Amino acid sequence: MSTQRTTGRRKQAVAAAAVVAALLSTAACGGGNDDDGGGSKTGAAGFDAANNKVAQASLAKKGGTLKFAGAQDADSWDTTRGYYGFMWNFSRYYSRQLVTNKTAPGATGAEVTPDLAEKTAEISDDGKTYKYTLREGSTWEDGKPITSKDVKYGIERAWAQDVLSGGPIYLQQVLDPKKEYKGPYKDKSADKLGLKAIETPDDKTIIFKLPAANSDFEEMLALTSASPVRQDKDTKSKYGLKPFSSGPYKFQSYTPSKGIVLVRNTEWKASSDPVRKAYPDKITVDFFTNANDMDQRLIKGDYDLDIGQTGLSPQGRTTALKQHKANLDNPVSGYIRYAVFPQSVKPFDNEHCRKAVIYGADHESLQTARGGPVAGGDIGTNMLPPSVPGSEGQKYDPYELATANKNGNAAKAKEELKACGKPNGFKTTIAVRNNKPVEVATAESLQASLKKVGITVDIEQFDGAQTTGIIGSPSNVKKKGYGIIIMGWGPDFPSVQGYGLPLWSSDYILESGNNNFALIKDKTIDGLFDSYTKELDDTKKAAISTEINHKVMEGGYYLPFVFEKFINWRSNRLANVYTTDGYSGQYDFVNLGLKK
Amino acid sequence: MARGTAAGPRAVLAYLIRRLFAAAVMLVVIILVVFGIFFLVPRWAGVDPATMFVGKQADPAAIEAVRQKLGLADPIFAQVWEFFKGLFVGRTYSGGGDVTECAAPCFGYSFRNEQAIWPVLTDRFPVTLGLALGAAFLWLIFGVAAGVLSALKRGSLWDRGAMIIALGGVSLPIYFTGMLSLAIFSYGLGWIDGRYVPLSESFTGWLGGMILPWVTLAFLYAAMYARITRATMMEVLGEDYIRTARAKGLTEPVVIGKHAMRSTMTPILTMLGMDLGALIGGAILTETTFSLPGLGQAVLTAISDKDLPVILGVTLITSLAVIIANLLVDLLYAVIDPRVRLS
Amino acid sequence: MTAPLHEPTAEAAPSAADEAALIAGSAEAKAVQGRSLGRIAWERLKRDKLALAGGMVVLVLILIALLAPVIANLVGQDPETHHEDLIDPLFSTPTGSFGGISGDHLFGVEPVSGRDIFARIIYGARISLLVGFLSALVAVVLGTILGVLAGYFGGWIDATVSRVMDGLLAFPQLLFIIALVSVMPNEMLGLTGTGVRLFVMILVIGFFGWPYVGRVVRGQTLSLREREYVEAARSLGAGRFYILFKELLPNLVAPIIVYTTMMIPTNILTEAALSFLGVGVKPPTASWGQMLSAAIDYYESDPMYMVIPGVAIFITVLSFNLFGDGVRDALDPKGSR
Repeated sequence: MSTQRTTGRRKQAVAAAAVVAALLSTAACGGGNDDDGGGSKTGAAGFDAANNKVAQASLAKKGGTLKFAGAQDADSWDTTRGYYGFMWNFSRYYSRQLVTNKTAPGATGAEVTPDLAEKTAEISDDGKTYKYTLREGSTWEDGKPITSKDVKYGIERAWAQDVLSGGPIYLQQVLDPKKEYKGPYKDKSADKLGLKAIETPDDKTIIFKLPAANSDFEEMLALTSASPVRQDKDTKSKYGLKPFSSGPYKFQSYTPSKGIVLVRNTEWKASSDPVRKAYPDKITVDFFTNANDMDQRLIKGDYDLDIGQTGLSPQGRTTALKQHKANLDNPVSGYIRYAVFPQSVKPFDNEHCRKAVIYGADHESLQTARGGPVAGGDIGTNMLPPSVPGSEGQKYDPYELATANKNGNAAKAKEELKACGKPNGFKTTIAVRNNKPVEVATAESLQASLKKVGITVDIEQFDGAQTTGIIGSPSNVKKKGYGIIIMGWGPDFPSVQGYGLPLWSSDYILESGNNNFALIKDKTIDGLFDSYTKELDDTKKAAISTEINHKVMEGGYYLPFVFEKFINWRSNRLANVYTTDGYSGQYDFVNLGLKK
Repeated sequence: MARGTAAGPRAVLAYLIRRLFAAAVMLVVIILVVFGIFFLVPRWAGVDPATMFVGKQADPAAIEAVRQKLGLADPIFAQVWEFFKGLFVGRTYSGGGDVTECAAPCFGYSFRNEQAIWPVLTDRFPVTLGLALGAAFLWLIFGVAAGVLSALKRGSLWDRGAMIIALGGVSLPIYFTGMLSLAIFSYGLGWIDGRYVPLSESFTGWLGGMILPWVTLAFLYAAMYARITRATMMEVLGEDYIRTARAKGLTEPVVIGKHAMRSTMTPILTMLGMDLGALIGGAILTETTFSLPGLGQAVLTAISDKDLPVILGVTLITSLAVIIANLLVDLLYAVIDPRVRLS
Repeated sequence: MTAPLHEPTAEAAPSAADEAALIAGSAEAKAVQGRSLGRIAWERLKRDKLALAGGMVVLVLILIALLAPVIANLVGQDPETHHEDLIDPLFSTPTGSFGGISGDHLFGVEPVSGRDIFARIIYGARISLLVGFLSALVAVVLGTILGVLAGYFGGWIDATVSRVMDGLLAFPQLLFIIALVSVMPNEMLGLTGTGVRLFVMILVIGFFGWPYVGRVVRGQTLSLREREYVEAARSLGAGRFYILFKELLPNLVAPIIVYTTMMIPTNILTEAALSFLGVGVKPPTASWGQMLSAAIDYYESDPMYMVIPGVAIFITVLSFNLFGDGVRDALDPKGSR
């Protein structure tokens, strides 16, 4: 008996030792650091090698399976309904537009280039007519040609908000500001092409007639929501489950929240498409529900990249930075993370109280809460993202947030408090989404630093899924006393209109679904937006953008945290990789290739 | 067995009918409450549920349109009625020129991605069932065995050791033990891949994907079973009929295995019924940690996305599982312990 | 193979002789109890060193929670001050080894914010112990009362209670909790701020937890109520409530104590989930569960952050269990020790 027991115990000890050893070996996995600048032993291109430049373009071969992993499915894969940034990026695999973003790194990637159209628009002098001629040879996945009527129908679908909600509605606002057209499903005309602002004299020609000029119109046509849809293939609300392809790949299968398989669209001809390279034979997406697990599998090499493109989570980031730095890029995302002060909540009706918060905050601490200078981004100093023309980046820093006051300026904050008539500080509430731990961390940081200047804040976490209904309702914000709201915003297309119009224009103050949280009603800002949309000259447009940014900052409506940056993973197998400002610093999916 | 037959087949049948009726009532009440929470609470809080389904460019017309389409404007009772009607006779969805026929059993379409709910449920159910049954098998074997041994050798090193390990299991959240097991066996040692593979594709792949979730989940539950088994067993061992049995010269394995175990079974069965019932509705944390495409994962996403039809579908399945499991347990009480009457 | 099956027929239902012995036995035990129940239990408990140790640790934990501000003052730390200078900006983890453990920061500092973990652990004890224990108590009290009633009276009482339990088990609790986020009041019954939230949390966790206790207690009661000693008491004209509380309840003590002690860690973790969703305590209030959930993002890069709250929960559970075992043994009417 006794010997037996000893063996049993020894076995247990051995087992325990094995577990400990396993833990240790996990911690030391990889061991060797494979970062040696350009091209490493593993074949990875090097740290930041694909950030705003093309990495390993020559190594891309035709064929193979490109494997995406994702922690969240898109809102919809229907070209009319999708609004997530990665969906717009990914949709170029199966959809084409008249014009699209250039397949080039960095800022060039945000410029428009002809896609289905032979060349960019012929614009009339008054800026109200845009004419395109379609290219020969572009076809649907069943081989039929893509016509101007398909393009018109695809655009018209955005009018059917009762069936196809969720997508951007810029085209609707520009082409039909009075909302006279009721959408194709309620269209009484036989061809369902009743929208008057778009004319299709023949299958190759499409003419847009704008009631008023908008200098960003072509940018809006480059959005995924302007993709063609064929009427006989339109499954209406179910379209997002299997979109009909006009691009180089088509859906083989899609199960929401589980995965996607795209295969080559054999009817697509490279000669008809100047944009898409279509390297891989097959593209798969697997969705995970555990972001930490997903990161580990990216690092292991099971997958090539994260479809969400929002950076590795803290654990994966640490492992990757220490052991696989050559596989990482650190792009600027185009998002600004910030706190905004609704003027309806006292004492934030007084600009000095707003400025007291701006000065009282510890900006370096906020940056750390966002993930630090690398994973979080540079300290945000103004409200125009670096990727938008007219932005000045950290050079414009009216409150010296990144320099003199980066750890807060208590003296100035007190001064502002005095000017506001609250020399002893005040109490308020920070509203923060409950599904964004990083935002809660920034709220805690803000709370800690404001305490030092006498501003006491209570952190209230609200249901992140109801953002539109809770903080998007000004009356609710006022009732709950949300004096500080923590949010983030990125441009839909890189212009002051695509970024700031919903945030700063008084026309966009809505009873529900409001994004002008600060409730800015400034005639000057409204006027500047008006002149922006009428201005066709790019240099002058940029100058107006700069001015709008200055006006917003001077009002003290916002406390920017960071110009957001990410740490994104790219596998050893990827070739022809580059980040593009056209999709908020994400890798340009459509032209990714594999090495073998 | 003479005493056990107090409930004749007729009585059992009447009992079953009564139970089924009560179960139906319960189902309706649960669905009503779910609807109520979904629609009344946001209204109470001053939030329009329709705003959850429009994009970030939400103009009032779009919000109104969504309200109409999803039927959010109808009274709750009308919606509940439509839901149950859909289950039995199917229903037709129409709005904005889009008409969809949904045949019975119609669980509706996702508010988020428009997919039909019934296939989602039938697709995900086997994953969750496999997870729950596999884990239950493990925790029953290890939990009960550890509990019996602890009770027999109470105060021994074995007893204390088993307790400490078991308590470790309940002290750590599942996402933690789960991540740890993945870190060791999948990323570290590389013994198993750890990703879910459907049983239809490969048996070994399925086994490889399920083994860590099974063990992790069982580790959490085994503690409870071990502790309850130990406590009940000790109680039972003090009973006079055990003493009698021993005095009659029955061997120890017979005394423990047959007589003592019989009484110990009651609480274990009760717990098993509850735990299995609740787990079949989805082991949310385990499925999330291991990215298992089961019901729990679906309901978690659905709840955070406010995807009511998915929530309703999974809730119905969970309710049925709980009802059936507890019915079986109540019937088994009478089999195990003939003194228990069905009432 | 068949022999053992035939042999013990008597055991399925004890023979008449056994029954007699049984009645006599329990009556005897009762008589002993009747004389000095509390005293005997205390005497037994005093002899059980492990149980006493468990009880002592529980007491110490409660003292730590009560004296948290004093202790934090002694070591010169508080749970809310950020120390970002101790954080590596690249990895968001503490720069020092072992999670930044130092003379100043006994348990190190949190990733990202650099808040002192020792202070957060002792302050967190207040929330975690309070919620963990009180919500278990709510669940056990509700579960025991309703479970005994259902099991003993049967009929419509049983049907109603059982269906309610089924309903609660099947109900998507998360839906309820997330809905609660939007309607959480800031004042209630004279409570404000954290008070309201603790109160709501204890109620919610207890409310969704009682069916687990309820079903087990009901099951046990079902089998106990037909026992001979209960019948004997009944035939002697004992009142229903006398039987319930004097005959049945003592025999339910074992599962109830096990359940109470085992629910504590689950409740501590549930508190973290609720707080994370915005129903529980507001940031920056510390709790063990919250620390443990936050630690998952650093499970390899800062393992100490996980180990410390994990050990705190483990010690709590272990000591409650040891103490619970001791109490159970001490109260056991048939206990031989």
